[in-house]
Amino acid sequence: MIIPEYLKKGDIVGIVCPAGFMPVDKVSECVRVLFEVWGLKVKVGKTVGSQYNYFSGSDDERLADLQEMMDDPSVKAILCGRGGYGTGRIIDRINFKKFRQQPKWIIGFSDITVLHSHLLSRYKIASVHGPMANAFNDDGYLNEYVRSLHKALIGKKADYTASLHPFNQTGKGTGILTGGNLALIAHLIGTPSDVDTKGKILFLEDIGEYLYNIDRMFYQLKRSGKLKGLAGLILGKFSDMKDTEIPFGKTVDEIIRDIVREYEYPVCYGFPVSHEKENLALKPGLVYTLSVTNKKISLKEK
Amino acid sequence: MKRQEFLSIIPGLAGISQARDWNENFPTPLLIPPYLKKGDKIAITSPAGWITLEEIQPSIKQMESWGFVVRIGMTVGKRDFSFGGTDDERAKDMQILLDDHSVNAIMCARGGYGVARILDRLNFARFKEKPKWIIGFSDITALHLHVERNFHVASIHSKMCNSFPDDYTMADPVVQDSILSINRALTGSSMKYNAIPQEQNRTGITSGILVGGNLSIIISMMGSDSELETNDKILFLEEAGEYMYSVDRMMETLKRAGKLSKLKGLIIGGFRIKPDDPGEEFGRTLYDVMYEKVSMYGYPVCFGFPVGHQKDNYALKHGMKHLLTVRKDVVELSEMS
Repeated sequence: MIIPEYLKKGDIVGIVCPAGFMPVDKVSECVRVLFEVWGLKVKVGKTVGSQYNYFSGSDDERLADLQEMMDDPSVKAILCGRGGYGTGRIIDRINFKKFRQQPKWIIGFSDITVLHSHLLSRYKIASVHGPMANAFNDDGYLNEYVRSLHKALIGKKADYTASLHPFNQTGKGTGILTGGNLALIAHLIGTPSDVDTKGKILFLEDIGEYLYNIDRMFYQLKRSGKLKGLAGLILGKFSDMKDTEIPFGKTVDEIIRDIVREYEYPVCYGFPVSHEKENLALKPGLVYTLSVTNKKISLKEK
Repeated sequence: MKRQEFLSIIPGLAGISQARDWNENFPTPLLIPPYLKKGDKIAITSPAGWITLEEIQPSIKQMESWGFVVRIGMTVGKRDFSFGGTDDERAKDMQILLDDHSVNAIMCARGGYGVARILDRLNFARFKEKPKWIIGFSDITALHLHVERNFHVASIHSKMCNSFPDDYTMADPVVQDSILSINRALTGSSMKYNAIPQEQNRTGITSGILVGGNLSIIISMMGSDSELETNDKILFLEEAGEYMYSVDRMMETLKRAGKLSKLKGLIIGGFRIKPDDPGEEFGRTLYDVMYEKVSMYGYPVCFGFPVGHQKDNYALKHGMKHLLTVRKDVVELSEMS
């Protein structure tokens, strides 16, 4: 695995929007905090505040902005402003030549799962799954989740805990972390960005899906071998679940439990990784140990 | 299933198999279930969503009027929340009907969601010995893909019991004809379909095995034993109730997985798109989305084909060879013998 260099005071962080449109005023607090509080410099990309229908720019514009940040040797990390949809449209057009010579942290979640998975499956480069620009707003930068991003970027090793959950499956497993948004992970199956999950710790979260679709996606993961032979499974929050007119008849946790109960590896539910405030920084590509007992959940970076 | 296992199971088909080269590069012989004759048996089952006995009455009447004996599977009327019975019940019903050689066709009562949950429990050994027609669409796409990929068995993509009108004679003529097309397909008529030519079509003439169905289901089969294979095939797609961005994302998946590069032709059926949320306008039409994915390839593409969650949803023989003609003035898909 290739681990980009951790950030030092005065390093430059680039901000881009490779997917959905984001108004510039939603990013300004993030820029202020990075500069004033974290002591970093910021390079704001052209796609921040720009708009092309749903997207933050045309495919060409989003690609060019991301490519420029990736290739600029003075930029040490790239924070994605927001997710939405669009990274998958440009991923195969990104040139990773310079980036591979000088890997840097790419930060985000949701649609950015495409980048995390691609970096891991194609180039074995670690990245950061964590809060994006919007999480800094309304004093969000003071909470432990945004602070966990800062710690991750300056190289402090993570040692996280989570609440107990009746469906947890006890055990201990060590492996490379991979995962992100369930819908994106499912949509990457069969593509060049698809990660082989064998021996890895997989984490998943999602928002706004129908319950039947969560079930369908988990069945896809199962049937495509993604759940077999994991070192561990971390389930984040599945927020704002929708149901059909005829109720599905199970909660999202029950849906997942009924599919993963046959596996021997540790499984924990309700881990603070999500589209909500609770979103701890995780580094796909790095080795972690997940320990689930009846008394304590622990996820520790090696 | 491993190829070797498959080969070892089909000594009964030696006559077909020996005539062909089994090299991976050569097409595997296609298995066409026997067409139905009067007095043959069609069984109804609910492998996905639930349905009542009352709701399937019009379909029973209609299929009996075609001269078939209708058998009602035990999942009809069963319910486990949204499903037509528990996974065990749905799998068992389907298994009984797959195994019973007196059943000549299996009509799925409706779609919804649920086939993926039972697919890996089904044993197709007896079905392979003596294939029969599996009929349905939407969630049933999973079955079409599975039997085509693993056993090269043809099946029928069409309306299901829940689409048979209560009063057949009062129904829209195109609904009547869509329903009648099931009978035509089942009894061995050589099928021919026309679509209204659209300016956005890409012209050309091509032939290949016809595969496809519901886009969401095709995507949810990726990576599994039921994954769509598209090389040298004509792909048809339909979708209902998804946002345009979601259709785009699914088409990106097909493209990135190499499913669009070696097609012989692309048929776009009905796409009922959910309107964009305010402020989230995707800004692309269905034509834009599709051509962004296939503009670099040369095969014919047609839009507005009569297949999908709509009135005009004609029975297509999934897994069988077809000729697709897309001209400025004519769009025609016809079965090849």
